[in-house]
Amino acid sequence: MTKPKSVLIIDDDSDFVRAVGDLLTSAGYAVDSACNGRDGLSLAKTTQPDLILLDVMMTERTEGFFTLQQIRSVPALRHTPVIVASSIYTDQPSFKVNPDADWLPADLFLPKPIDPARLIQESARLIAASVAPESEASHVGSNGR
Amino acid sequence: MKILKIPKRDLDLFVSILPAFGELYAPVRRGSGYAFDRPVIWSDVELKYPRTILPPRKFFLPPKEATFTFDPHAGFRDLLAEATTRRVLFGVHAYDIYGLNILDRVFAQGKFPDPYYLARRQHTAIIGVDCEPDDGHFARSMNADFVDSGFDLFLSDIGDDYLALVGTSRGDDMVVMSSCLLGQPTEADFAEYKRRSSERRAAYRTHVELGDLPEILEMEYHSLVWEELGKRCLSCGSCSMVCPTCYCFDVNDEVGLGSRAGQRIRTWDSCLFKSHALVAGGENFRHSRASRIKFRFYHKQRGFVAEYGRPSCVGCGRCAAACPAGIDITSVIRMIRGQADAHGDRTASADTASRQPIPAAHGAHHAHPPDGAR
Repeated sequence: MTKPKSVLIIDDDSDFVRAVGDLLTSAGYAVDSACNGRDGLSLAKTTQPDLILLDVMMTERTEGFFTLQQIRSVPALRHTPVIVASSIYTDQPSFKVNPDADWLPADLFLPKPIDPARLIQESARLIAASVAPESEASHVGSNGR
Repeated sequence: MKILKIPKRDLDLFVSILPAFGELYAPVRRGSGYAFDRPVIWSDVELKYPRTILPPRKFFLPPKEATFTFDPHAGFRDLLAEATTRRVLFGVHAYDIYGLNILDRVFAQGKFPDPYYLARRQHTAIIGVDCEPDDGHFARSMNADFVDSGFDLFLSDIGDDYLALVGTSRGDDMVVMSSCLLGQPTEADFAEYKRRSSERRAAYRTHVELGDLPEILEMEYHSLVWEELGKRCLSCGSCSMVCPTCYCFDVNDEVGLGSRAGQRIRTWDSCLFKSHALVAGGENFRHSRASRIKFRFYHKQRGFVAEYGRPSCVGCGRCAAACPAGIDITSVIRMIRGQADAHGDRTASADTASRQPIPAAHGAHHAHPPDGAR
């Protein structure tokens, strides 16, 4: 029996964590969670999940952005797929910078509320895609952002 | 030069996009002091800080770095790629930017530019922020309280907003990317900037007189002040380690046991260390502590002026704060000028009795010139 793929949810909304956690568990994933960026980073370093689902506005409104920078600075997590899920663009209308890879080193940005079917689909896709590039990148010493 | 303004309330959003330009480092609390480090959340960033323990020099001249590897079979391989990590230093004070501009004169603009230093300079963005001076700062005396180059962006506090001065095309890329957060300053903003600028100048409470200091150092080469300082100095090198412009380094090769392969290592050194001027055969050009601390002062305040046209001191106050013996550069300058007692380092006594008159045999022009730049 193969070990289930693991997902770490970093989000301060306990209802969101419960609902999405149940969804991912029913899809066959092992789910862990943290309610802020600092704890999430600490947990990610020790458990090295296959996928991270990261909120932005937690204790601070930009917390997820900073947590993501820290995640990318940890060699073991540099290529771990990260989905950023947030309502920041609706809650902070003045922040009109698009969440593209030029500045946000995430693999995908999903606006909240999340479409469950899309989350399941994208999670499977990103985890599958992360395996080959990761091993290749580690050989060429890519900084990988 | 482009000048924009950014609301303080949106600075966290602005900083969030900066990783597009490299790994973010900013002043964060470390123990009872501050250090340039990676913030975990925005509130870790402290923009109202007096000074960091170490200056940003550590990002350009690391305390220890391997410059190349060697192997009898593979030959030499430079490690220049290690120096191309993109970084953003956010919240750097003007005097520290000035310190980097001084290092540029030695490592980037001299006869032998240092490729490792150059690579780090090119790959590191600098965003400055203005400083509220405390009693340890004397950057105004060293003409380092404001800078007009050496930064990509410089933020000046004008109340609810920062004025953002764009210094380079990379700084321009930053403001273009975050243009939704930035606005055009008004006449009232400029007036507020000018008011606060004057206020900042007036806030410097510690002053030293630089004019004719090289000449006075020439006259005081044999002053007893150096012997007094030599008795107090512990030669620990703390002042060098925390200095934004100290750049002495040592080089050695690390070779693996049973191998002829290894790497060349460059590490920080200090002219306060006894080994600094030790050469083969056991000769030491600066054997006494007095001669070593004198060398440091002459290098910074006299030799560097002769070589590069200005002292290699920016008035950050770190050396005085770090010195376990309480030696304070501003007091030393006052002592040399005869404005303070050689024993009362932190006082401004007018007693000049401890000064040794210039021996007639030497006069103002010494047979042996004072130590110059290394």
